[in-house]
Amino acid sequence: MGSHRMRTLRPWLLLAPTLALMAVLLAWPLGRVVWLSLQNYGLRELNRGTTNFVGFDNYVSVLTQPYLWTIVLPNTIGFAVVTVVGTVALGTLVALFLATLPVAWRYLASSAVMVAWAVPAITGTYVWVFLFDAADGLVTHALGGLGVIETGSVNWFLERWSFFGIAALNVVHHGFPFVAVTVLAGLLTVPTELYEAAVIDGAGAWRRFWSVTVPVLKPIFAVVTILSTIWDFKVFAQIFLMPGGSGTNREVFNLGVWSYIQSFAQGRYGLGAAIAVLLTLLLLGITVVYLRTLFVEEDL
Amino acid sequence: MRKSMAGMAAGILVVSLASCGDAGGSGGSGGSTDGGGKKLTVWIMEGTNPDASAYFETVTSTFKAKTGADLDVQMVPWSGAKDKFTTAIAGGTTPDVAEVGATWTPEFAEAGAIADLGDKVSAAGLDSDLVGSLKEAGTYDGRLYGMPWYAGVRSMLYNKDVFAKAGITTPPKTWAELTTAVEKIKKTQPKVTPFPVPGSSEFTATPFVWGGGGELATQSGGRWKSGLADPKAVEGITFLTDLALEHGSSTPAAATWTEKDALTAYAKGDVGMVVAGSWTPATLAQDAPEVAKKTGAFVMPGKSGMAPSAVGGSHLSVFETAKDKDLAWQFVQLMTTGDLAKKWGEESNYFSGQKSALDAQLASASDAQKVFATQMTQGGRTVPVTPQWGKVQGKKVIPTMMQSVLSSKADAKTATDQAAKDMDAAFAGN
Amino acid sequence: MSTTPAPVIAPVAPEESRDGAAPLRADRTSLRPWQVATLVALLGFALFPAYWMVSTALDPRASTRGGSLLPSGLTPRHFSFVLGDGGFGAFLLNSALVAVVTVLISSAVALLAAVAVARFRFPLRRQILVMILVAQMVPLEALVIPLFLQARTLHMLNSLLGLAVVYLAFSLPFAVWQLRGFVAAVPVEVEEAAYVDGCGWGQMFLRVLLPLVAPGLVATSVFSFITAWNEFIFALTFLQDDDKYTVAVGLQKFFGEHTADWGPIMAASTLITVPVVVFFLLVQRNLVSGLAAGAVKG
Repeated sequence: MGSHRMRTLRPWLLLAPTLALMAVLLAWPLGRVVWLSLQNYGLRELNRGTTNFVGFDNYVSVLTQPYLWTIVLPNTIGFAVVTVVGTVALGTLVALFLATLPVAWRYLASSAVMVAWAVPAITGTYVWVFLFDAADGLVTHALGGLGVIETGSVNWFLERWSFFGIAALNVVHHGFPFVAVTVLAGLLTVPTELYEAAVIDGAGAWRRFWSVTVPVLKPIFAVVTILSTIWDFKVFAQIFLMPGGSGTNREVFNLGVWSYIQSFAQGRYGLGAAIAVLLTLLLLGITVVYLRTLFVEEDL
Repeated sequence: MRKSMAGMAAGILVVSLASCGDAGGSGGSGGSTDGGGKKLTVWIMEGTNPDASAYFETVTSTFKAKTGADLDVQMVPWSGAKDKFTTAIAGGTTPDVAEVGATWTPEFAEAGAIADLGDKVSAAGLDSDLVGSLKEAGTYDGRLYGMPWYAGVRSMLYNKDVFAKAGITTPPKTWAELTTAVEKIKKTQPKVTPFPVPGSSEFTATPFVWGGGGELATQSGGRWKSGLADPKAVEGITFLTDLALEHGSSTPAAATWTEKDALTAYAKGDVGMVVAGSWTPATLAQDAPEVAKKTGAFVMPGKSGMAPSAVGGSHLSVFETAKDKDLAWQFVQLMTTGDLAKKWGEESNYFSGQKSALDAQLASASDAQKVFATQMTQGGRTVPVTPQWGKVQGKKVIPTMMQSVLSSKADAKTATDQAAKDMDAAFAGN
Repeated sequence: MSTTPAPVIAPVAPEESRDGAAPLRADRTSLRPWQVATLVALLGFALFPAYWMVSTALDPRASTRGGSLLPSGLTPRHFSFVLGDGGFGAFLLNSALVAVVTVLISSAVALLAAVAVARFRFPLRRQILVMILVAQMVPLEALVIPLFLQARTLHMLNSLLGLAVVYLAFSLPFAVWQLRGFVAAVPVEVEEAAYVDGCGWGQMFLRVLLPLVAPGLVATSVFSFITAWNEFIFALTFLQDDDKYTVAVGLQKFFGEHTADWGPIMAASTLITVPVVVFFLLVQRNLVSGLAAGAVKG
């Protein structure tokens, strides 16, 4: 059989199911989101299926709002930076620690770590909200007992910084197991000889980490960082379900929550779609930069 | 619900199989048979009636006996319900009949998703029997789109022990008495939160806007305009937030609380009084029986006498996608009148949307329920009935206003001005 | 070194024990004091929300628990309510069906794609890889309406299989990215040996490549499983019969409009968590130690 033609065709045959599924279920709907974003679209238009094009009005309206630049964008980016760094750093530390454990203990500990991932995000969020409840939460009782604050006198959900602090704790807690387990898997493949050589060279633990572990595991870090970035930029439930996060406290919106509230709570589907498109473009930009810096040309 | 649904599905299967054969015995005995072989899809909100499955089994068999048609009742959780309706409206996959939250009705009506029921209600002679506030809430552009089904109203619940220890003999009837009561509780029981003011609760704030003679919004010449920045409304909000901030009636935690959270705090027993819905005493009796035992109710205090309070609840609406609107209406009528309406009220602890059913319900009501009933019939108000009110709620205009004052980020004047602007923007469609 | 962006790195001598590979490895079974301290802190942090969830689920007075560290008592009441009146057994089965279908198909489809991008050089390869990544960037909440309309056109509404197909689309991009690393880590020589033995490409794939990347498939499936298991908004909007609801939708029935029933909510959450943990434990060996090693054995 024409093996050369087969050789050029085969990758496309292999890719076909994936591409078909993604075209039908992601690309096409995404196209509709873009199409929606060019319209002034409310429940009435949804019901009648009519169109109502307004050009780039929605984008202009979003991009010219000081609210976007002073609140939503800093929230989105700042929160993502903190949670990505937090998730990757904590995950890596945990992986390094797990690698030092005897096998049975490592098995036990990594199982426990995975439980943090298994708890549904909704439930996890409610638990953190309970813990930080201003009147009766564990944290206010603990701090009150230590005399740091008067028990019940501080409501952390009101202030932007503390609100996002709690949300970050929640997101990092839910996200670090993925990083820890992936990095651990990588760590276990690093050839012992590399470490032995480093020890002979007189490298301490810190230097061994940076000169052996990091270079070898660089592709792993690249992947977990990219994926964490994508996920953390889009964080929705963990913000939306916190006190004030569903709309009452406008200082704590991120792009995802803002888009959702414009669409479903206020019936402005066009505007919501425009925000979603901007979020996608932002992520795309960041990812392209990542890919350029993290991967050498041929690695990709 | 699950088991009964499976049972119901099996029932439907049997029936349809039977009707495949020649004129066998089953089905359409008695009553009209115009619905024979048809099936009506209904969406009902989850969690209103703890025993909904048994209730809807009765409804299904009654409906079948009456019309010969089958019922397909699907329960929808409140969370995400707006999304579910929205996608169904977009896709033309709405049910024949659905329970629609009272503030959504004008929005769905404006979008053209639900049908005008006015003529059918008049033809059935039910016009004069509808509970006024719920009828008003279901009316858009002069036509009735939502058939009043059940209603709830907010009044005050109080802890009798806390009041007794503070030496309060009669519950407060006015703002001045409310302040005194708060101060007495504060003085005698420092560990008790006299009256938490939840910042994320729209319906805790509205009685205080109305209680001083203010308005949320007024309509003139077909245009709505916010009344929140008017002096009387500002006075009410100032009074309420001063109670929290100056008189120590609340706790910092409450600034982000919803009604749920305030009730949870009350159920722990160290809260003096709380704004609560008419359906909550039953929940309380289950979750915290010992607190429930020492709980009383009193109507919302206003500047002088009872303050109006918001009536909430649900309508039953027929969607435009319904193939047989007469059959759909027969179902709505069955649910909202007579025994089934009364039974729903009793089981769900909500008030019936029909005056006659409500009276029957009140004949055997508890003291607390009678207080709530007084509130509803004599001091019940609706929020502005306009499709845009859904957007005002979606924007959380009132909770945002309350929270910014309670967190001391703004004073009452600044916050109400901002809220009025936000509300006017929503009315203008922005 | 053939660095590839995935959990699997350079091929390591296959005969070498994985346990000997990590730095500072101790061939002891006892722990040092600092390890004990760190372990306690780690477990405390990782498990606390789960502890809170389970203990509230068992607390007879869950709704008024407040900040107390210990529950006020222990009762199975909430669990029996959730499984009985709550009908959670059926939700668990529905979710299991959706999750298993999603995992199986997405593993198969993603593996084919991963082989294509890891083993072949062809035009547009880079673009396709980036596009697969981009597919994960769209906020799902924004896709609800368009995807609903699309699913209606394809007659996928109100069907658990239809829902599984949607989750497939969500989990594929991640799965392809993860798996391409596993595939790339299989030395080309192994494949070539198979050809020398007279295998065609298909036979090589089934007999050589597939067994070697199996552990990678398992690791990837964890993600697909969780995606399908926990998703809420698409399950709610796509499924019209309430007996088809999945666990995430079922959980919401304990939230009323103005009430939250914390005991059943936490009991239901526990029931949602347990199968995921069981799934983790089942694949744990592959996930952690075997994950990378398996790819180069043989």
